[in-house]
Amino acid sequence: MRNVAIIGVGYTPVFVSKRIDVSIAEMANEAANAVFRNTGLTIDQIDAVVQGNMQPFECVNLPYLWASEHIGAVGKPVMRIATGGTTGMTTLMCAYYHVASGLYDVVLAVTWEKHSDGDAQVGLAGIVTPEIFTMVMHGLDLITGRGMGGTSGGSTGAAAYQALSYLHHSGADPEHIDKMAALERSNAALNPYAHLRKKTTVEDIQATPFISWPLRYGHTCPTTDGATACIVASEEKVKELTDGNVAWIIGVGSCTSDPCTANFIEGQITDPAEQESCRIAAKKAYEMAGIEDPSKEFDMAELYDGFAHQSLMYAEKLGLCKEGEAHKLLDKGAFNIDGELPINASGGVFSTNAIGTSAMNRPCECALQIMGKIEGEHKIPKKIKKALAHGWGGLFQYNSVMVLSDTPKKSS
Amino acid sequence: MERKVAIVSHVQTKHSSDIGMPRERMLFNLVKELHNKVGITRHDVDSYVLCSNDFEAGRTISTVFEDTPVGAYMKDETKVEMDGIMALIYATMRILSGQFDTALVVANSLGGSQFRPFLIMEYQLDPTFDRQVGLINELNAGAFQARSYMDKYGLDEWFLDAISARLLRNGAINPYALRSKDDATPEYVASSEYYYEPLRKLHCYPFSDGACAVLLACGEKAKELCEKPVWIKGFSNSLETCRLGERELYTSPSTKQAAEKAYKAAGISDPANEIDVAEISAKFAHQEPIICESLGLFPEGSAEDVAKNDLAEITGKMPISPSGGGICTYVFSAAGLINVAQCCQQLTGEAGDAQVPNAKIALAHGQDGFCAQHNSVVILSSEEG
Amino acid sequence: MAFQMGEETRTFPITWDVSANKYKIESRGLRILTEGMKDKKIRGIRCHECDTVYIPGPFYCRKCHIEIDEVVEVKDTGTVMSFAVDMADIRGNPLPEKRISAMIKLDDCDAWFIGTVENMDWKDAKVGMRVKSIWVDEPQGKFSDIDHFEPI
Repeated sequence: MRNVAIIGVGYTPVFVSKRIDVSIAEMANEAANAVFRNTGLTIDQIDAVVQGNMQPFECVNLPYLWASEHIGAVGKPVMRIATGGTTGMTTLMCAYYHVASGLYDVVLAVTWEKHSDGDAQVGLAGIVTPEIFTMVMHGLDLITGRGMGGTSGGSTGAAAYQALSYLHHSGADPEHIDKMAALERSNAALNPYAHLRKKTTVEDIQATPFISWPLRYGHTCPTTDGATACIVASEEKVKELTDGNVAWIIGVGSCTSDPCTANFIEGQITDPAEQESCRIAAKKAYEMAGIEDPSKEFDMAELYDGFAHQSLMYAEKLGLCKEGEAHKLLDKGAFNIDGELPINASGGVFSTNAIGTSAMNRPCECALQIMGKIEGEHKIPKKIKKALAHGWGGLFQYNSVMVLSDTPKKSS
Repeated sequence: MERKVAIVSHVQTKHSSDIGMPRERMLFNLVKELHNKVGITRHDVDSYVLCSNDFEAGRTISTVFEDTPVGAYMKDETKVEMDGIMALIYATMRILSGQFDTALVVANSLGGSQFRPFLIMEYQLDPTFDRQVGLINELNAGAFQARSYMDKYGLDEWFLDAISARLLRNGAINPYALRSKDDATPEYVASSEYYYEPLRKLHCYPFSDGACAVLLACGEKAKELCEKPVWIKGFSNSLETCRLGERELYTSPSTKQAAEKAYKAAGISDPANEIDVAEISAKFAHQEPIICESLGLFPEGSAEDVAKNDLAEITGKMPISPSGGGICTYVFSAAGLINVAQCCQQLTGEAGDAQVPNAKIALAHGQDGFCAQHNSVVILSSEEG
Repeated sequence: MAFQMGEETRTFPITWDVSANKYKIESRGLRILTEGMKDKKIRGIRCHECDTVYIPGPFYCRKCHIEIDEVVEVKDTGTVMSFAVDMADIRGNPLPEKRISAMIKLDDCDAWFIGTVENMDWKDAKVGMRVKSIWVDEPQGKFSDIDHFEPI
């Protein structure tokens, strides 16, 4: 199997709630330019381009047809991936498979989301539009939400069931979610590419109102405009094009279960906090990467946490700690930037959520930490050898996991 | 390429303008049919690549309720949001990487009964200009392209009628086709109404419901699972600008680029003689000659000669779209994959009345965008080689 | 130097017309469920291979990937597996009354169903508490036939 590395990452200059000055395609162009600037490569050295975003959020169908010329993809093989929240990770995986297959050597992956061009809640409700229509036809009272079949406030409502189920099974308190939220927002304050950049205390989080108990306004992610580009290359090209300071993708895994929320028509049988698909995806990625004890071998992790409780939950599901231990590690400070296992030093999806990019920013942040090319004060002080990136999407059903390392796998 | 990838089996629905069942049931039945045909269960498949379109499905993340009917519960699954042939290409890369031995590619659309494809196409326009101006739609863009070809080579509308008539006759012997007429003549086509002159109703694709599933496996596994694997010899794709005004619409440089790479991988130097049959995704009658000429199957501007000399007939020198092509059935997101399935039928000798004698190498084509902006080519062979 | 955003560009409205879609929905399971609710019964479908009981019943079992059609009746009492206390609507505006919406696993079935739990203080709600359905007086064969759930 071919070794594949991330050789460079490029972000839009800022991730903010409303980019008034650029279009979607221009934003993608900014990210692509940034990665070319950072790597010194040109578009002529790129063999293929992979793109991803969630099109209904901006209401442009197959935006690659339009955006491709803005990132120089005209005349090149292109591919477009869209898998919900995991889009970023699966797009990068697609770039990975382009190289791993032996057909291409240098591949550019670009993802973006411009939430301000659309309405994120409408886009999210669009996941189950036909189901909601059907339920209303069968007597669901959408106005009062009473009785059987009712559902609560959008994606936050759905996440609240997951959060409470997690709290119940892990023994953590709602205050731990506040604490995780404050930690990540404070990390984001150090990251120039984060959206909500304000040093935040637990009290600040606790001052925000509840949307769906146990989730507060302060536990939810923002909607962001931003784009990310990343170049992956084969081992031979790494030698040719770089100084060797790259981040190797040594394990990938993804898995889908069934919709764990709002499955009104086929019957929901899965606890949204069970996340068996995350375990399966992780197992596969760890096997490939030769990770035997994930709780000891990783130096950092970037987890996809649209809601603050998910960092704790996924840390357990990914085997970074035992079940029910994540909140204890949080209390000990293990997840801080200078802690034993820094989680979401970047501030996470929880502080910056341009959906298409979110799951790609996780491995990209890991790669930058490994390469020591972090811009900003959220650089992890210790040497990063192995890093874990994770993404979830859909109706809590898709999970993707990527293991990155500072050294390539020995060729088998 | 150390590994080889082959198509083990394929199934498609009987395409129609209203398939009369929900998407989930259509997909479940389809995949079950494939399982029974090959004699496997869902646990024998490592990787799933789905293909559908959010706007056509009317659903953000169109696959959320498609994974479980196709049997991807607790499996590795991803979605390519393009033409189905690109999902096949991605699945092939996944197997080539060595991480998977089998992959199931499933593409579907209810473009006939659930949504209007012309509207999906409108959503594809550059939102900052073309979509705002509102002057371009898929039909008039198609008409521009037809006019451009006719003008370049000094042709009248007859060749459009002849192409549609041939495809409609082919459709009559394809049990899966939506639209067909066993005695279609150019005059019959010319009697249908104009949509946008020079394009008539029967020069344009019909809105179709349908789905297609293709099972891929690495070489050894494919030989275990079936008697006649169809080998994927080469593929590529390429893209042009979305700005119609900057394109020479009478030709297709992206098809040329994609074909060059695919031919190189497959070791084809003289496509017109080496390829035995081609399934082309032409949404409009005039796109067939434009794409075939860019593929090097016919000389440039030869549409009228090809039609007059019956070269593209099933019995002709270079059979094009024996299935009836896009004029008979065009399933959004699945059209290219259906072309692959049709090519497999030809190569395994299962094409019935549409069988091209001794077909050994086939070409499947897929497209996306206005005036075939993005083109993909896959070369298939009945011989491992 | 901090990034300076450029001049504002023109913005145009574009629409996504979902009403242009004509959705096809598998309705057998919903029909079996709602027709039973006329008689204050809750019916789902069991997979004959893995015994999973789905409500509403789909036409296939997603674990076993086989068609299923065995209609079974389940109890109208259940256990709260998780819940949320809604305090704001989808746009973030506060609700006049706090509302407990719970994911309830009805007895004898594997499906999680959302229902509102009333007649209790939200602070007393717990995962694992037992609840029963409170039916309306004259059921119509609709979801609203169960007015709410109450703790046992």
